[in-house]
Amino acid sequence: MSSSRFQSQQFLLPKEGHLLSECEDVIGVNALTQRFAIADGATEAFDAQSWARRLARQWVRLDRGALVPDDFRSWVAAEGRSLHDSWKNLQLSWYAEEKARTGSFAAFVGVQLEVELATPRWQAIALGDACLLHCRAGRILSALPLANHESFNASPLLVPSLGLLQDAGLRNIVVDSGVLESGDVLLLLSDAVAAWYLRLAESGDRARCCFEELLMADREDELEQLFSKERRTGRIKNDDIAVLRIELRLP
Amino acid sequence: MYSAQITRANPTCIILLIDQSASMSDPFSGDAATKKSDFVAEAVNHTLHDLVIRSTKTEEIRNYYYVSVIGYGRKVGPAFGGPLEHRSLAPIADIADYPLQVKMSYKKVPDGSGGWVEIPVRFPVWVQPFAAGKTPMCEALVQVKAILTAWLADHPSGFPPTVLHLTDGESSDGDPLAIGQEIMSLSTDDGAVLLFNCHISSRRSAKIEYPANDSLLIDGFARSLFAISSPLPANFLAAAAQLGVSAGEGSRGFVFNGDPSSIVQFYEIGTSLTGVTPYRWMDEGT
Repeated sequence: MSSSRFQSQQFLLPKEGHLLSECEDVIGVNALTQRFAIADGATEAFDAQSWARRLARQWVRLDRGALVPDDFRSWVAAEGRSLHDSWKNLQLSWYAEEKARTGSFAAFVGVQLEVELATPRWQAIALGDACLLHCRAGRILSALPLANHESFNASPLLVPSLGLLQDAGLRNIVVDSGVLESGDVLLLLSDAVAAWYLRLAESGDRARCCFEELLMADREDELEQLFSKERRTGRIKNDDIAVLRIELRLP
Repeated sequence: MYSAQITRANPTCIILLIDQSASMSDPFSGDAATKKSDFVAEAVNHTLHDLVIRSTKTEEIRNYYYVSVIGYGRKVGPAFGGPLEHRSLAPIADIADYPLQVKMSYKKVPDGSGGWVEIPVRFPVWVQPFAAGKTPMCEALVQVKAILTAWLADHPSGFPPTVLHLTDGESSDGDPLAIGQEIMSLSTDDGAVLLFNCHISSRRSAKIEYPANDSLLIDGFARSLFAISSPLPANFLAAAAQLGVSAGEGSRGFVFNGDPSSIVQFYEIGTSLTGVTPYRWMDEGT
């Protein structure tokens, strides 16, 4: 997708051995609102794909709001209620019903661009281990909510759909903002690829450049081959991969 | 080692081996109303419930685990009741679909603002308490080895099988050391079979949990069980840490003179596999 002021590329890859339809990472893009998001449904949660889809795709439709913790909490509460309402007519087995009772969970990161301002900027909100990286001339200027590959673990904080868990679950929302210059790149990454990318950046590994070149050129087949190899060698966890790259082209 | 992903294409095997000898009908920890066999059956049912819920993906269940429950006492063999009776190994989807019965109850959960609310929950039952006969531990371990040998022939690359053995007394058919070592020598490409042992006692003797050596074990039976207990891999140590259990590098999957809380933790650590205890991810921050 491109507008006169930014261009974006996206890439989605399910876990090895899974179908794209089973992928629980979801990318949301809306050029009109200048909002971009990634949500990563928790594999162990009930209907995680629907929750991730709702978070990523509904958030980018908003013209404004849900960018500060209080506002975001209210928005999540409403989306959570809608999700749970959508389950009411399902005929569920005892175990599915049991699982649904605890709701769904997903990591989330969303960024709002404001490129029309005299000083263009971005504002972001995140919870969990889906990340936003702001890069300039190959350097990472900021990363949130996690900034190095060792911060990733098997028990990330997640956005819960169940109202009962939201007060506590949404206490650790991270917000940040930054100033944009022409040529800056914003990368939104789900957890496995974020941990991989940060480790490459920390060690100066050339695979990072290769990844960016393939991404910029939209060479999906070669990206799949790259990740297939990285998975085989254990350099990246076999998890769903979502990548969204936004490059600024300011006058 | 112990890093293979557990998927439908590459599932793992979990065997719950339980002592059902006559002494299991004794009261547990001074509570005359609760027999050891009652408590163990409840813990096993809770463990199976957790594995089912972990494998549930919206409306389907994924066969990440194949589970066996073997009992030994008056007889040695599968301990499932109901439709799974006589099944020595069942995919988790079958376990989900064929409980003996499903009971309804309520449990308290945090309401997110410092209070608690009661929500209805279902407690399926697959295994009923049973306590009669001697303690044919070696014969039971021979059956476990047969299940594992068949499994490994078909799943040579998966996450290694885990055997969680719970007993309250000494073997009545010989020293389990040799057959235990045979089980521990089996392996997949990802590591050796894990054999963990939990000995429970009604006496108020000091319990020993997850020791790294046998220096505190005074009797021969305890030393035998220690010798056939695998060291806890890093993932399991992480789960133990999450539960506040003291275990470190070199700790064996071994408990002696365990009490009720030892049993609960033993099953939680033993089925953590990838380092996340059931629902821990959900409880973060609550």
